Amino acid sequence: MIQIQDVSKSFKGDLAVQNLNLEIKKGDILGLLGANGAGKSTTINMLLGFLKPDSGKVSINAIDTSQNAQETRKLIGYIPENVNLYPYLSGLENLDYFCKLAGLKYSKKELEDYLSTCGLANDAHHKKVSGYSKGMRQKVGIAIAYAKKAKVYLLDEPASGLDPLASNELSLLLQKLASEGATILMASHDIFRVREVCNRIGILKKGILVKELNSKDVSANELETLYLQFMQN
Amino acid sequence: MFQIIKNEWQFLVRSRIFLGISIAFIAIMLLSIFLGNYQTQKQEQTHQNAKNHVRQQWVSIDEMNPHSAAHYGTFIFKPTNLLSNLDEGVNSVTGNVLRVEGHVQNEIVHSEASQMQAVSRFGKLKPSLLLQYIVPLLLVFLAFNTVSNEKQSGRLKLLVLQGAKPLQIILSKTLAVWLYGVLLLIFILFVYGILNVQSLTTDILARTGLFFISYCLYYFIISGLTVFFSSRWQNATLALTSMLGIWIIWTIFLPNILMSSVEKWHKLPSRNEFQTAMKEDRSKGLDGHNPTDKRSLALKEKVLKEYGVDSVSQLPINFDGMRMQADEDYGNSVWDKHFGNNRSVLKKQKQSFQLGGIVNPFISLQNTSMGFMASDNLHHQEFLLQVENYRRVFIKMLNDKQIYGGSKTGDWGWKIDNAFFKSVPDFDYKPTEISAVISNYILDVVLLFLWTILVVALIVLGTKKLKMV
Repeated sequence: MIQIQDVSKSFKGDLAVQNLNLEIKKGDILGLLGANGAGKSTTINMLLGFLKPDSGKVSINAIDTSQNAQETRKLIGYIPENVNLYPYLSGLENLDYFCKLAGLKYSKKELEDYLSTCGLANDAHHKKVSGYSKGMRQKVGIAIAYAKKAKVYLLDEPASGLDPLASNELSLLLQKLASEGATILMASHDIFRVREVCNRIGILKKGILVKELNSKDVSANELETLYLQFMQN
Repeated sequence: MFQIIKNEWQFLVRSRIFLGISIAFIAIMLLSIFLGNYQTQKQEQTHQNAKNHVRQQWVSIDEMNPHSAAHYGTFIFKPTNLLSNLDEGVNSVTGNVLRVEGHVQNEIVHSEASQMQAVSRFGKLKPSLLLQYIVPLLLVFLAFNTVSNEKQSGRLKLLVLQGAKPLQIILSKTLAVWLYGVLLLIFILFVYGILNVQSLTTDILARTGLFFISYCLYYFIISGLTVFFSSRWQNATLALTSMLGIWIIWTIFLPNILMSSVEKWHKLPSRNEFQTAMKEDRSKGLDGHNPTDKRSLALKEKVLKEYGVDSVSQLPINFDGMRMQADEDYGNSVWDKHFGNNRSVLKKQKQSFQLGGIVNPFISLQNTSMGFMASDNLHHQEFLLQVENYRRVFIKMLNDKQIYGGSKTGDWGWKIDNAFFKSVPDFDYKPTEISAVISNYILDVVLLFLWTILVVALIVLGTKKLKMV
């Protein structure tokens, strides 16, 4: 579903991503670990079609994102670190608005179902987002992607700043989406969460994918040791 | 696009600060309309009373020599203009009363500004003041962070991912803000229409329609430019500062600088120069009150020859009246020359000032606003011209009576009865129709359209350079 072939990207001479190769299949959750500036967000922005690679090819569902971003964006659900919704609208109104922008018109009941499926408590549906916690906003963000029937989910540091309960709920939700056939790429610093949620893990260092492994092949402690080794070398 | 506009409006409607400002603004607006209407009605009543009083005095003249009546003269009061409720234009500084008499063309006097310190210092609180200065400011405050806020919060990415095109987003945000200005405008015109429904004519409706279009274009320019800055600059403060700078330059500095320059390029004679030149030219003509004047003697010879008599006492007409009319005719040509020159200088000033609209659409807006509300200098000049035309008919009627009414030359004690004075028509002001003067404002409207196109082009270009990351 997601294919990144020999992609490089630099900003004013500084290489952000270097000869990156990645393939994420349907139902896979790939966790991209790396320090700040490792190239995680650049990779996501290339997948979103907001950045063009200097060389190589980024494609989603075999469609080149730099050639036909409009088409690939239809398939993508994007959840940034901070899902900033419209604070004067309720969660339900936000969902309705973003769905309508995508040309989707749902009944109130359907919208409520989407929010509930994504874990937002029923009593929060009609409350203004200005009173939401970060986790609640993230759930609405996922509901927007879910209602859009996204095939690919791109998450940039989704667990950052979430309390353990909210973080756990997010993990369960992502696994549920993957089990329904979604392809998920999650960029994160959080080794333990990535180990828990993702079936595949990649470690990025200075734009280079230095290691790729299956999460079941490694324990959380081993992964931490491995990660620190790569970061220190 | 509709969804984005709707969402922007949801924000406006749910924002307490915005609602508070809007309510306060509408209240001030209503106050200005009601006060303006009340004042116009009061002025209209005063005008009618004064007009009736002066007319009554005229038609009550029992018996009088026609030439004495020409010196007695009458007064003309500038009628109130319903449209100036919306834009006062130059009306408060141009004067309201004009004395009409023989031998001389008097200046219009008693302007409101000369009698009221508040008007001379601050101008009047008219809807145009709010529509031209305050509404654009509100639009700037509404628009300056519309796009930058979306960029900074990361929502712009979400919007684009959901399928909204950047151009759609920016145009929708422009339209949403613009719509606010347009709704305020519609509200004002609606209230104004309701208050004056019995006085609405086709001309007033056409003028109001053109007034509406001018403001709509200007509000689009302001909204679009602010949203453009909001999308181009990295932060909202920079967008706000840029637009406030433009607002100050457009509304305060440039109009003053341009008008002063135009007045220097096309200079009107000073009052003293004008009066001296008029006096000098007049002295070269015929003096109606001096029978020994060289030109009077020449006219006398001509008339005697025409009638085939030797002396004015043999004439079947009153030669004194004829001399007075010849004096008038000469005076009229002197007036035509000097006032014609003034009018042509004023026209050149107006045309040059209009070109200021190329760099400042506010100038075009002011021109159309005053022009369409019949309160600019052009309309004032039209009024003065009508008064002068009336004066000529009025004086000629009196002189003709003196000549052909049955009196003889030198018979200054001869009087005409009341029926004649009643037959002299009163001044009947015919408001200038918009169709007669529209050509004077086409350049302003065209410039506003060109500015609108320029802003759309900027938005399109700005969209292409919009950085998502």
